[in-house]
Amino acid sequence: MSSPVKFLVVDDFSTMRRIVKNLLQELGYNDITEADDGNTALPLLQAGSFDVLITDWNMPGMPGIDLLKAVRADAKLAKLPVLMLTAEAKREQIVEAVQAGASGYVIKPFTAVTLKEKLDKMLAARAAA
Amino acid sequence: MQAALDAGDCAAFRRAFESLSEQMDAGLLPELRRLTATAQSALARFSAEARLDKLAGHEVPDARKRLTHVVKLTDEAAHKTMDLVDSCGPLVDEAARGAANLIENWNSMTDRDVAVAKYLEKTRGDSEVLRGNLTQLLMAQGYQDITGQIIRSVISLVDELEQVLGKLVRIAEGGEVTNIVRKLPDHPSWERGLGPQVAGLESPDAVSGQDDIDALLSAMAAGK
Repeated sequence: MSSPVKFLVVDDFSTMRRIVKNLLQELGYNDITEADDGNTALPLLQAGSFDVLITDWNMPGMPGIDLLKAVRADAKLAKLPVLMLTAEAKREQIVEAVQAGASGYVIKPFTAVTLKEKLDKMLAARAAA
Repeated sequence: MQAALDAGDCAAFRRAFESLSEQMDAGLLPELRRLTATAQSALARFSAEARLDKLAGHEVPDARKRLTHVVKLTDEAAHKTMDLVDSCGPLVDEAARGAANLIENWNSMTDRDVAVAKYLEKTRGDSEVLRGNLTQLLMAQGYQDITGQIIRSVISLVDELEQVLGKLVRIAEGGEVTNIVRKLPDHPSWERGLGPQVAGLESPDAVSGQDDIDALLSAMAAGK
């Protein structure tokens, strides 16, 4: 059963992108695009019609926190659900991400169950909006 | 020069002045340049040594802990992977054995329906367990991202060490002094990302896991 929800998965490590993509496919989502940095992700977001952004924080070009802020600052993208998926663990970072408008924050290492839980929550909130 | 001035002899004064200028060009200015270069070298060596001091005293021991953590993570991932492979084998073997049994004894079986129903029920259950194990096998590969981030941070350290040591060698040999491209900031800003938590180097204000984060997020939502 496939759903038309369109995902963009952003991480500078291809193994992590592959793991997330596989998990999404197991959950029934098949429209998944990948990007390796905030720099390459932003133009894709601005050009395409993505429904969900899943992004890492620590990336060499544009870090995930800056991508998040750029998304929230763009009128077209401001309401996009954004899930932070990262090893960054300081309290202040999590607070900053939430204050910058992150829809969810999952820390690595994570479980498939956790990812599904947070995604379901985000998509339900989006549907309700 | 003074004598020419007193005598009011402009030409003589000018000649004396030019002669003095030549002496300065020939002797004084090169000497000034040499002193400046020496001072620059001393400053550069001082800053390089200060940097080396910090690298050796702080960053290198940190790097040792980081790489030790990488060994730990890869060890755990390898064992977890093998554990999961171990658990998948019997499930698949059981399904094959059950199928072979049915095939062999098909004609002589009295309660075929029951036997087949039992086999299908078992295989369905085992297949679900197998699927779950495969997903866990996938998740176990997540170590590569985390160890990769840690290894990259150590590569940055090695880069900077190479530059600092190279600079010190050049200064000692009296060679040209160029600026070091700083790889590691003195006060890493967490905007860029600090990387995964490393055993023995944990941040005092790091969260302890997803539950901790969920609690923090709930508290923030309630506070809003």
